[in-house]
Amino acid sequence: MYNIAERQMERSVILKLELGYIDIKDIKFADKSEIKDGILYVNTEELKKLVLEDEDIKSVAFDIAKPGESVRITPVKDVIEPRVKISGRGGVFPGVIGPVDTVGDGVTYALRGMAVVTAGKIVGFQEGLIDMSGPGAAYTPFSKLNNLVLVCDPIDGIKQHEYEHAVRFAGLKAAVYLGELARNLKADETKVFETCGIVEGLTKYPGLPRVAYVQMLQSQGLMHDTYVYGVDAKKIVPTILHPTESMDGAILSGNCVSACDKNPTYVHENNSVVADLFAEHGKTLNFVCQIITNENVYLADKRRSSDWTAKLCKMLNLDGVILSQEGFGNPDTDLIMNCKKIEAEGVKVVMITDEYAGQDGKSQSLADADAVADACVTAGNANQVIVLPKMDKVIGVVEQVPKLAGSNEHSLRPDGTIEAEIQIITGATNETGFGTLSAR
Amino acid sequence: MIITNNPLVKANLPEETKIVYMKCSYKDILIKVRDLCYAGFLLKTHPLSGSVKPNETPYKSIMVSDASTGKTDFDSCELISNAISTYEKFAKLPDKWPKEVLLDFQVVDLSLMQNALKSIDL
Amino acid sequence: MTKIKVVHYINQFFAQIGGEEKADIKPEIRQGIVGPGMAFKAAFGDKAEIVATIICGDSYFNENIDEAKKTILAWVKKENPDLFIAGPAFNAGRYGVACGTIAAAVKEELGIPSLTGMYTENPGADMFKDKVYMVATKNSAAGMRDAVKIMAPLALKLGNHEPIGASCQEGYIPNGIRVNFFEKERGSERAVKMLLAKLAGKPFTTEYPMPSFDRVEPNPPVADITKAKIGIVTSGGIVPKGNPDHIESSSASKFGEYDITGVNDLTSETFETAHGGYDPVYANEDPDRVLPVDVLRDLEKEGKIGSLYNKYYATVGNGTAVASAKKYGAEIAKRFLDAGVQAVILTST
Repeated sequence: MYNIAERQMERSVILKLELGYIDIKDIKFADKSEIKDGILYVNTEELKKLVLEDEDIKSVAFDIAKPGESVRITPVKDVIEPRVKISGRGGVFPGVIGPVDTVGDGVTYALRGMAVVTAGKIVGFQEGLIDMSGPGAAYTPFSKLNNLVLVCDPIDGIKQHEYEHAVRFAGLKAAVYLGELARNLKADETKVFETCGIVEGLTKYPGLPRVAYVQMLQSQGLMHDTYVYGVDAKKIVPTILHPTESMDGAILSGNCVSACDKNPTYVHENNSVVADLFAEHGKTLNFVCQIITNENVYLADKRRSSDWTAKLCKMLNLDGVILSQEGFGNPDTDLIMNCKKIEAEGVKVVMITDEYAGQDGKSQSLADADAVADACVTAGNANQVIVLPKMDKVIGVVEQVPKLAGSNEHSLRPDGTIEAEIQIITGATNETGFGTLSAR
Repeated sequence: MIITNNPLVKANLPEETKIVYMKCSYKDILIKVRDLCYAGFLLKTHPLSGSVKPNETPYKSIMVSDASTGKTDFDSCELISNAISTYEKFAKLPDKWPKEVLLDFQVVDLSLMQNALKSIDL
Repeated sequence: MTKIKVVHYINQFFAQIGGEEKADIKPEIRQGIVGPGMAFKAAFGDKAEIVATIICGDSYFNENIDEAKKTILAWVKKENPDLFIAGPAFNAGRYGVACGTIAAAVKEELGIPSLTGMYTENPGADMFKDKVYMVATKNSAAGMRDAVKIMAPLALKLGNHEPIGASCQEGYIPNGIRVNFFEKERGSERAVKMLLAKLAGKPFTTEYPMPSFDRVEPNPPVADITKAKIGIVTSGGIVPKGNPDHIESSSASKFGEYDITGVNDLTSETFETAHGGYDPVYANEDPDRVLPVDVLRDLEKEGKIGSLYNKYYATVGNGTAVASAKKYGAEIAKRFLDAGVQAVILTST
């Protein structure tokens, strides 16, 4: 006889991912691409051939930027951590490089301590800056990584969106090429992440609060897009992911505008809310799932997405969520809508955002507000002005800087110093709580 | 109906779209939309679309309903008022952008509006 | 680092002159330390020195604000300190208002860094926390040691013109100015901790308090405006020439009721503005610009409105406490209702 109750209790739908870290201490150019004793050796000719497969890219130059060096990288398009799928379904960056298969289980390796940084002028403004030393280094997490920088030049007459696409793929392909070099290595450290199914979670952790991570994804248009399994986030309706899917690159960045609060692919791969919720999973909370939603410009879309997000929270019997947003201005409206509607379902919300309180810190930080949003973590005021000293070397194009957000034509001084808002620094006020910057 | 000061939007949206093109500043667009909201038009896209800050890009396109509903919609008025407040808190930067950068701003603004239009295609 | 010079302000009680019965004493200045200054001296060590202490009765200060300010500011200017400290006032209301007033005045008018301290529910707290650095203290003098522990280091920073960090780092009451700083833990960790506290019903502190908007439900629209009696109110301070009720130019303590029977137009001879928060030239030239009596009379003549109620109400919105404004609004509304007024035009500046 088919006993449903028994079957539900026996049937395990746990999704388990073992994430192995290969620690990279240094990067060197060499004749053969390989990873040996923690050093990444790169044959740039091979990598160049791979990148130039795309006819929209006229030329590409490679450079290395290490923590502590007097180096400035600008304009930054994306930052990606090379990963490789050792076992389990699919491959990294599913639906884009890897096949469409659902990811998030098996074994994946990550090259920890390094990143691929794509730099290249797509539009004349707002693409971010990473200082590897000096006062600016504290404001970006990427100053602590060994960065392999790809500076891409477009062919003449190319359209902005075509070039954006080309640079995006160049970075991902490079990351996959480098990740592949780790395939036969032994991981320096391994962490295991398990997501339970609904029934199993309830039976395993009956007394623990059911918590989910609601992640709002930027989705407005050129330079403002995010991709989930290759699908443009503008087109999705709010849905559920296993949190480990993002560790295999299921969510990718197509946006960098403005640099301080956009999530580069690296942040999606290493989402800190996911990491910190997993750290408490089974102990103080039951990390049920990740819910993703978007931030479309069309108002009816905002209403629909926030209604659906709240509906999912209710149907999953959640007790609380951490809600993160991405961007400035109109996403503030989505943030407050999501917060209000989720709280209205009896699910408690803590939100993470950044602020635009003006250079004097006196203006209202968000474009929208509501008393129900009583639990807020802030990543700091993006309008804070900073003076960045001249760096000995600039990788990319320094003349771009006056056109970075929060800077003006006087920002780049003749002596090479930059005076601008921290908006221009990649990752400075990241709204997934990736960094330690805050404000009161 | 699209209120815009972006010549690229004027030139590139489908024929049937009602466009009100004005050669004016970013703020003037916000004010015009505000006045329309007071007169009973509904806001269809968020006035603060895009992360290119209001004190950088001179271009703004906002979609409102084709006609006035006859009643003032409070939510629309609140959104546009907040957008104007947000605009005012940004430091005024001199806008001497080179031509290519102005074109870039137009392209991004057009992309945002084209994508918004896709949302009402059905 | 040179020793910074401090002037300290305290009231009659902390000066050990007396209690409530001595609250009317005029300001006096003494060289060196008096009363709680000792606690500051111990905390300052050799980094700062209180060179003078100014004492004033709480009642005297609050009832003679302009006089008291003038006298005290002159003394402070003469001493020319690097820093001015007022209080702490704990929960004493008039003392708190006095401390806030004088500390803010020293900062704004003399440009000398100032610091005060009081209990967050002291009326002086809401009034002045945005105008001068203010440390939150316990609600009684038993909290003196704790107060000084936080006030002294902040005072030294202010006196040495060092950059002041975020409110939670330095210990002052959040004053509406957002200041960035680096936390020990990353944002996502802080979010998880905050959520666990919120879920357990435990207290937590939001890192960004939402601005609160007092929402008022709008009434349904006037059925027939051509038959309606319209009243006008202004917080723009338009009053009969000479300001017969002496409505203050800021922090108004009253509103006025004025008859405009037969008045079709406000002129510079008959009306003026009492408001101290805007350039009065244009309002004085033609007060209709702030209180549009002329236009309303036209509409009345044209039959576009039923009638203009023959009394109008005025106060000054500049620095007036929200609580006071609410009080006046309630009273004025009552008078309008008694008079059969159906709709009101409110003008502000």
